[in-house]
Amino acid sequence: MRAGDRPFLPRWPGWQHLPRDTRDTLFLLAVIAWTALPHLLRLPAWCAAMTAGTLLWRARLALVGAPLPGRRVLAAVLLVAAALTQWSFGSVLGREPGVALLMVLMALKTLELRARRDAFVIFFLGFFLVLTHFLYSQSLPVAVAMLGSVWGLLTALVLAHMPVGRPSLRTAADVASRTALLGAPVMVLLFVMFPRVGPLWGVPQDTRAATGLSDSLYMGSVAEIAQDDRIALRVRFPDGAPRPEALYFRGAVMSRFDGNEWKPQSTDFPAPQPGAELRLDGPALRYEVTLEPTRLPWLPMLDATPELPAIDGLSTRRRDDLSWATNRPVTERLRIAATAYPGYVLGPLEPDPALQALRRLPPGFNPRLLAWAGEFGRRPDLAGADASRQAAAVLAHIRTAGYSYTLAPGLYGDTDPLGALDEFWLDRKRGFCEHFASAFVVVMRALGVPARIVTGYQGADPDPVDGYHLVRQSNAHAWAEYWQEGRGWVRADPTAAVAPDRVERGNRLLPPPGALAGALGTVSPRLLAQLRGLWEAVDNRWNQWVLNYARGQQLDLLERLGVHSPSWQDLARLLAGAIGALGLAGAAWAAWDRRRQDPWRRQSLAVAKALRRVGLPAHPHEAPRSLAAQVRQRHGHAGAAVAGLLEELDLRRYGRHAEARPSRGWLARLRREVRRLG
Amino acid sequence: MSASSTAVPMPRAAAALPGPLRRRLQAWWLGRHTPSDTLLLTQRNVYILPTRAGLMFGATLVVLLLASINYQLNLGYVLTFLLAGSGIASMHLTHNTLRGLTLHLRPPPPVHAGAAARLDIALSGPPGGRARHGIGLRMSTNADSALAWTDVPAGAHAQAQVGCVMPARGWGELPPVILETRFPLGLFRAWSVWRPASRVLVYPRLEFPAAPLPAAHASAAPGPAQRQRPEQGGETEGLRAYRRGDSLKQVLWKKSARPLAAGGDLVSRDTATAVQHELWLDWQQCAGLPPEERLSRLAAWVVAADGQGADHGLRLPGVEIPPSQGDPHRRRCLEALALWQ
Repeated sequence: MRAGDRPFLPRWPGWQHLPRDTRDTLFLLAVIAWTALPHLLRLPAWCAAMTAGTLLWRARLALVGAPLPGRRVLAAVLLVAAALTQWSFGSVLGREPGVALLMVLMALKTLELRARRDAFVIFFLGFFLVLTHFLYSQSLPVAVAMLGSVWGLLTALVLAHMPVGRPSLRTAADVASRTALLGAPVMVLLFVMFPRVGPLWGVPQDTRAATGLSDSLYMGSVAEIAQDDRIALRVRFPDGAPRPEALYFRGAVMSRFDGNEWKPQSTDFPAPQPGAELRLDGPALRYEVTLEPTRLPWLPMLDATPELPAIDGLSTRRRDDLSWATNRPVTERLRIAATAYPGYVLGPLEPDPALQALRRLPPGFNPRLLAWAGEFGRRPDLAGADASRQAAAVLAHIRTAGYSYTLAPGLYGDTDPLGALDEFWLDRKRGFCEHFASAFVVVMRALGVPARIVTGYQGADPDPVDGYHLVRQSNAHAWAEYWQEGRGWVRADPTAAVAPDRVERGNRLLPPPGALAGALGTVSPRLLAQLRGLWEAVDNRWNQWVLNYARGQQLDLLERLGVHSPSWQDLARLLAGAIGALGLAGAAWAAWDRRRQDPWRRQSLAVAKALRRVGLPAHPHEAPRSLAAQVRQRHGHAGAAVAGLLEELDLRRYGRHAEARPSRGWLARLRREVRRLG
Repeated sequence: MSASSTAVPMPRAAAALPGPLRRRLQAWWLGRHTPSDTLLLTQRNVYILPTRAGLMFGATLVVLLLASINYQLNLGYVLTFLLAGSGIASMHLTHNTLRGLTLHLRPPPPVHAGAAARLDIALSGPPGGRARHGIGLRMSTNADSALAWTDVPAGAHAQAQVGCVMPARGWGELPPVILETRFPLGLFRAWSVWRPASRVLVYPRLEFPAAPLPAAHASAAPGPAQRQRPEQGGETEGLRAYRRGDSLKQVLWKKSARPLAAGGDLVSRDTATAVQHELWLDWQQCAGLPPEERLSRLAAWVVAADGQGADHGLRLPGVEIPPSQGDPHRRRCLEALALWQ
């Protein structure tokens, strides 16, 4: 096909005047584009460009009516796409490369729409593409957008099976929605009853896309999260909420430091530390938390949560450092009810050889900071001071020595890889929680005090929505713990020393709002807040009812239905029973429908039967008018009412305004009159 | 046409059964489909099975379900179950598209052997029913032929035409008609088998290329010459095929147009002298040919003579149709040829 053969694009004839094939193809392309749209921002530019380009090319071919390219061209493009995928991701396997390839494949398949089989391939690829969006987000807007996609795909499928004439898109869309609506009860039933099981095999991990806390602390990694306004967890306190500064959700505890990166203690192996003990003091705080999937092998729980209820499909373990580890990354949304004891004491209380590891610092790193710490420890007022006095002195230094809190401190360690913390502590003095926590721990260790970093979430939105306090990714925080003989592990939040706001009110660090929200915010701040509140309430319901629906909720439902100590076998049995009942109901309906086939005929039978009872040799095939004549002849004046009714039936059935179905009332009246006659 | 009764498509698995069992099954199968010209499709005579695409859809659902389980995607479950529900609903909708339909076959017109008989089938739903889309019809004998598609609007009739090549002359039984639909999603194929009771009168195959018409004979024509044509003085005009030697004035140009278009000859004016000329199409004139080919030639002659508007009579062993012309006469001749012996 040479460009000179035809105009590059014909004049747009209007949607109504397009040939049917062209219209159907353009509609399918639009549906595919809509389905692919959310991925375009996530995937590499070449993939987005290739997908969009292919779809536009196909649209042009449809408009011009040009032949489709040969298979060789398609194979070449596919090879290029595979090569680019390998180049971008380092592999063609895995989630992200898979999605990228799926997109290109789907777009290319539109260039191969020859037989019905090709069309089906497109539809099935489309359903996969819809599913891939849920890997990234299962929010309400995504769900609504993808419902549109599924509707569009079903409509295109229906169109492909209407070979006659030029059915309107609306007709096909109606059929598609009717089909989906008829299927909705099955969907609800299966969704509620289908036994939820854990992952069947290892889920390929994709740390690149993982959001939330990470499994290590590296300079700058928390800054990215701090600007992420998504919800990390929701928490509800049935007995009243504590102050925000008490809300420390402990994630991973990082005690291994290699100079650049903090990592959690890999394991408690070979055995839990003997002195590790937890004493629970003070009032208990009951809470219920809904955790978004972290894709990390621990659960951020309130300090200190001594026990967790059993979670289905996930085994949890409280480690010595009070963090809650899981046997696998948490990929599902979890709802957990637990009790926390904010006034806890975490041992060991006596010196323990295991603590020695927590005083260790990597040799050669941050020499200036270590020198500063040595000098600091020799200050006369700290001579013989215990750990808490030393910590207080360091915090006082942070407050008074001109440190400032910022989300964009720039990169540390660029000039001197060994002195990132030197640069922060002594030169630039600007940073956020992880800089402060990390420098504080290094200083404490340099002073000979065992110390470690705790990551997690701190604070919550001030106003609860729907009774739930929202904790966002921007509430991600890092703080420190040091050990003191007799007191055990003591929390110290050096960030509070420099930005008390951040900690005490649990204020999130708000990024600049978007243009629309900004404009709305200046016009009516209250309206914006209300809209936001409303949206978050809806979103919360969505999360609680749809996304959070798991094995636990299924078993709760069974229990409410009266099954004692239900198991998943009960669930499967109930599902099978419900499907069986549905099948029986369908069979019954079919039997009834068969009888319903010709309602007029059934009425004729009933009329003939009623008339025979009064001695009239009536046949069902006789017209009501002739029956009326027979009645008049036989019963004379007494039969006038019945005859009148029969003549009325004649009009109802054959008259000018004939009715589609017999009316029930008429037959009842006839029977009454016939009985009077008899 | 005994072959047509076995042509009712049996379930494919039946072919693997041993003989006696298969015959019993076949008898049962035929018993289910008694021939009639009107058929109401009900639960009993509409069959449904998943298509290849339906099986592919099932496999897709399994993969979607596995992905949802493995990634713990509740929305994935929703998607999978929504599609599963739609698939199940589409099964009922596919079945509903056929169920309740009434089929009616108009008496089919006669046709020549080797040509396609055109069956006019009227489809209608019950009163107050809904519109039905994408119903395809074909004869069971030509499996690879394209389906004749039709939609049945709500509360109205629809027409569909299917063609069926009739192999041999005589009263031809119609092979069963297959009615199928995949609407709305193409995951299931519902079909029904209908054995029409009507038979088609099949005229002999037309000889091709047709032999020239025999000459009309003035006196040699044996048998009673019963000219029906009223005579008007001596000016009676007749028509006959162009013969060499006819002057250009004798040719009826206007009347020649049709036969010429049909590949025939010019038509000449047959003046009063031709009144005695009678065109007899005789079995004996085709001596040397096997009987069926003779019939073919005679049929072609009848058609040609009729096209030229010439009076013609037909003589077969045991049958003699006096010369005449016009539609009823032509039909009478062809019928005689179709049903001869």
